[in-house]
Amino acid sequence: MNKKILPLIFLIIFFIASWSEARVYLDINSPTFVQIPIVLSKWKAVGKTPPNVAERIYETVSNDLTLSGFFKVITYPTLPPTLQRKEGVPSTVVLQEWTAGGGEILLAGEVSVNSDPLDIAVTFHLFDLVEEKHIVGKQYEGSVQLIRHMAHRIADEVVLQLTGERGVHTTKVAYVLAQGEGKEIAIADFDGANGRLITQNQSINISPAWAPDGKKIAFTSYLKRNPDLYLIDLDGKALQRFSYNPGLNASPSWAPDGREIALMMGMDGKSEIALIDADGKNPKKLTQSHGNEASPSWSPDGKRIAFVSDRSGPPQIYVMGRDGSNVRRLTFEGNYNTNPAWSPKGDRITFCGRVGGRFEIFVIRPDGTGLQRLTSNSGQNEKPSWTPDGRYIAFSSTRTGGSKIFIMNSNGFNPRPLTTSKGGESSPAISRRFE
Amino acid sequence: MSKKCLVVILVLFLGLVALGCPKKTVMREEPSASQSAADKERARLEAEQALREKEARDREEAAKKAQTEFEKSLVAKKYPGIEGEVLESRLLKDVYFDFDSYDIRSQDAETLKQNAALLTKYPNVKIQVEGHCDERGTQEYNLALGERRANAAKRYLASLGIPSDRMSIITYGEERPFDPAQTEEAWAKNRRAHFVILSK
Repeated sequence: MNKKILPLIFLIIFFIASWSEARVYLDINSPTFVQIPIVLSKWKAVGKTPPNVAERIYETVSNDLTLSGFFKVITYPTLPPTLQRKEGVPSTVVLQEWTAGGGEILLAGEVSVNSDPLDIAVTFHLFDLVEEKHIVGKQYEGSVQLIRHMAHRIADEVVLQLTGERGVHTTKVAYVLAQGEGKEIAIADFDGANGRLITQNQSINISPAWAPDGKKIAFTSYLKRNPDLYLIDLDGKALQRFSYNPGLNASPSWAPDGREIALMMGMDGKSEIALIDADGKNPKKLTQSHGNEASPSWSPDGKRIAFVSDRSGPPQIYVMGRDGSNVRRLTFEGNYNTNPAWSPKGDRITFCGRVGGRFEIFVIRPDGTGLQRLTSNSGQNEKPSWTPDGRYIAFSSTRTGGSKIFIMNSNGFNPRPLTTSKGGESSPAISRRFE
Repeated sequence: MSKKCLVVILVLFLGLVALGCPKKTVMREEPSASQSAADKERARLEAEQALREKEARDREEAAKKAQTEFEKSLVAKKYPGIEGEVLESRLLKDVYFDFDSYDIRSQDAETLKQNAALLTKYPNVKIQVEGHCDERGTQEYNLALGERRANAAKRYLASLGIPSDRMSIITYGEERPFDPAQTEEAWAKNRRAHFVILSK
């Protein structure tokens, strides 16, 4: 019998503050936003647990919390000597001594390997050092292969407890990676780890988009000497060509309910925005202008689609109903605005606009007000894409040389490269959370 | 020798009499002059015939040469990761576009006419028109622009009588620059419609 090990994680909640008494420690939208100083004490490897397992979880959580941009992470080697060696979960009666570490919050944890099978239990507790109280404690049990995933879930839980919304460290990023003359589709964890190619066909593979369930990626490939739309599993298997009208089939965007896909489709020699069913059938043309139409992006309520059109001259961002009705131009500043992406909360559309020969990332409200520029004078910045919490925007940037995937807070703060590669990366797309 | 000559003259003279040419001027002509005119006429006919034959031969040769030139100009091209092999010919020339534009420029109309003439000469040739962009736009909008450029070139050829079913289009956006350099010159070369031969 070939019993497959399921990637299950069992969760035990020790304590969680009820929502009536839950406190948001950090209002990320506040103009006086200051990172919360959080102490990460040394994690304890219980019993025969290899210390490097505890260390790996610690490193992953610490990195996640730093990448989130919400925290000033104080790691144990930087603590006063008396606190450096203290490991595991402290009692609330001794919380006072931890204030010497300079943090307002303490994250402590331990890891124990169960005897058989080789499964592990990871426990963390979060403390408020200012009010000297326990905030939350949780234990995760699962296969040892899942320790990074457990660490991401801990980080997400910490973000939830302190900022009022769950983190996005269990998401993945799909992107395009240049390989010789070709381009392949790659995916990586949100922290840039586990990067791998899911296509390896030397063709031109571009514009990856996640299916809403996170199980497949749609992308355009020139395998059959036509830009056709394909679906592929995350392990690079089950490649399926599913929209292949002669001419362009590109830039897929799934409707939030997963039933339809908006895409660029070549019709009579020009690119239109069309809808196809999730199986690639039944194309319906939505746009009715003489211009070129590009880059559809659904509103999260599934009622509208943002897109690019050059019907009035240079390319600009437009919004239309899902049936192609009520077309409205959104951008009037600048003469080259492309790559719209509707935020998961529906309140913003990010796009790429050209300013003096440079591409910069902007956001605007769906009613055309509130235009805000998020990047400035640091290379070419293109193809913005939201995280599912709407708090971050991933994009490609040449600010450090080659084109790389960057991520920044949705107000433009804290831009940082997502992977450690030298370049050749473009077109990031962030998945749903994998919990 | 002189005897033979006399016989010939006599025969020619009798012949002229026998033809009963009514023109006195001809009758009055010296026998030698009549002979010379006939020779000239025959030579002229022969020369004309030879010229016609030469012209036919030349045409054939030119056609053969053109055929060979076209055949010789064909270079197989295989893009990695893209199904099939196409042929390229330097006789099918690229046309270029202004930045962000898909209009056929007046200076490129002549190029398209030459391309159309070649395609008319080889009615079995099927081509694919590739639309390309420079790298300065964004990738997806460039795919749309490339689609439009390829179609603009295709429609122009169709207006010159090339049947549409002999031409397909494909956009490569900014994915296949002719010159990867980041200069105005390179960008100008990259904004192009390129013609490849799918079958001949």
